[in-house]
Amino acid sequence: MNPGSVTVIAHGLGGSADLPIPLTYALIGAAWALTFTFAVVALAWKRPRFDPEKPGRELPSWVTATVDAPVTRWTLGIVGLLLTVWVGFAAFFGPQNGDNPLPGVFYVLMWVGLVAASLLLGPVWRVLSPVRTVHRMLGGKSLRNYPEALGYWPAALGLFAFVWLELASPDPGSLAAIRNWLLIYLVVTLAGAFVCGARWCARADPFEVYGIVVSRLAALRRNRDGRIAIGNPFDHLPSLPVRPGIVAVLSVLLGSTAFDSFSARPQWRSFIGETAGSAATATLINTAGLFAFACVVAGTFWLAARATGGVDREQRRALPGQMAHSLIPIVVGYVFAHYLTYLIERGQQTVYLLLGMDVNVNYFLSLHPSVLATLKVGFVVAGHIAGVIAAHDRALRLLPKAHQLTGQLAMMLAMVGYTFTGLYLLFGG
Amino acid sequence: MAAALLVAGCGDKGQNYTVSTSSATSVSPSELPDHQAPPDRLVFRVVIKDGTVTPTNDQFEAAVGQPIIFQIDSDVADELHVHSNPEHSFPIEAKPNQMFQFTVDVPGKVDVELHELNKTVATITVR
Repeated sequence: MNPGSVTVIAHGLGGSADLPIPLTYALIGAAWALTFTFAVVALAWKRPRFDPEKPGRELPSWVTATVDAPVTRWTLGIVGLLLTVWVGFAAFFGPQNGDNPLPGVFYVLMWVGLVAASLLLGPVWRVLSPVRTVHRMLGGKSLRNYPEALGYWPAALGLFAFVWLELASPDPGSLAAIRNWLLIYLVVTLAGAFVCGARWCARADPFEVYGIVVSRLAALRRNRDGRIAIGNPFDHLPSLPVRPGIVAVLSVLLGSTAFDSFSARPQWRSFIGETAGSAATATLINTAGLFAFACVVAGTFWLAARATGGVDREQRRALPGQMAHSLIPIVVGYVFAHYLTYLIERGQQTVYLLLGMDVNVNYFLSLHPSVLATLKVGFVVAGHIAGVIAAHDRALRLLPKAHQLTGQLAMMLAMVGYTFTGLYLLFGG
Repeated sequence: MAAALLVAGCGDKGQNYTVSTSSATSVSPSELPDHQAPPDRLVFRVVIKDGTVTPTNDQFEAAVGQPIIFQIDSDVADELHVHSNPEHSFPIEAKPNQMFQFTVDVPGKVDVELHELNKTVATITVR
């Protein structure tokens, strides 16, 4: 039907999906999440403790010097560029079947691997981005400034385009579709960089923005003077820049991961099969579903952040953005719960395909379903608890004294809602 | 949803499907009290006729290493893709009563799809 297609399954990667987690695991996770939430609201500290200005413990100065040395930057940039060329070569001239590493590179290494790398090391896409390297090689000039009013909206759109290809497009595994997506991405990002400068990459490149968002949960960070330091991630989280579209970015990430679970359910598949007469209608319904999931997350978060007394109009408008960082741990926890086996097992497979090695993939996680289920529930609950703590602390800083308890309730309920939905979807309904 | 879970030996549920027990198993597993006995084979029947597939999006469970057989009547050529780790792929010809046997050795949810028709026939939960 489709000459360039590899498989027609969601993710375009083939292979099996994780077993649903057992009901008891989901219930225990939900009970912990609920208990902890109300313990935090009612019993935890009453004065804000986390401060993005608090410097972390400095690492030796040679670390910063090495990381910032132009040699390091250029080397890493050129490595990123060479990797891009290599993957591009494989995409066009490699085997046009399931042995092509492109879907794995795209859906596993770039999407999930980026989260893991950004969490451990900080925003690595900045140094690896081929667009940034090309832009710098050609003199780094720009025609005008980045329009500040756009904020992160172009990135939110780019992220939606990514999850659309993965979860709603007719054939996510098609090499041609992935190639086209990447070519459009490269053209748009390069054009943006040459028109608006490197700031385009920082605000509009979906991968870089995803990396920046996730890196706020990292222990490694930079102090105000630029020194690389290690500190409490809760101090780092509130340093997320609040710009237009930041809630949309996080909502697309959380909503799409939930839709990924949801759309694999047999009820949804049967519904699509019965309702949609053609592949185009199926794509439309899936697109609407994906969009609805992102909108539900955005809408509930926006409402919950604003649902407090004692603030004026202006402050209320600012609240969703100021609370947005508290969604980061929930997103990261859910992404790991959902894609851990993809990262570890498909990641191995992709690397072997790229290197042309014929090595057997180690399926340790899939072979131990109870370990995997424990890890998944652990990630979701840990993400939830961290999100609740971050939101509580921020509420203490933002809300007037008289409304600090009641003003948090809606946000806590929204977060409990996300986590219960997440666990329910992992359990499989 | 049609009764698709057809374990040889307790096939009374699915009147639409036939259960083929091979003559290779000389002793009926029900006579063996030993739970270590090799698992029964699962037989899943699929009919492809005039561009429609019966059943689609069906669900059943299987054990790791249990032989699973797809018995297919088709009027067109297609490919049966089994999205397990590693994957299996079988060419389907336009003829009745073709049998494809495989086992799944890594637990997970395994989609079985018809490639050309772009339909998921069944999802096997392998534990």
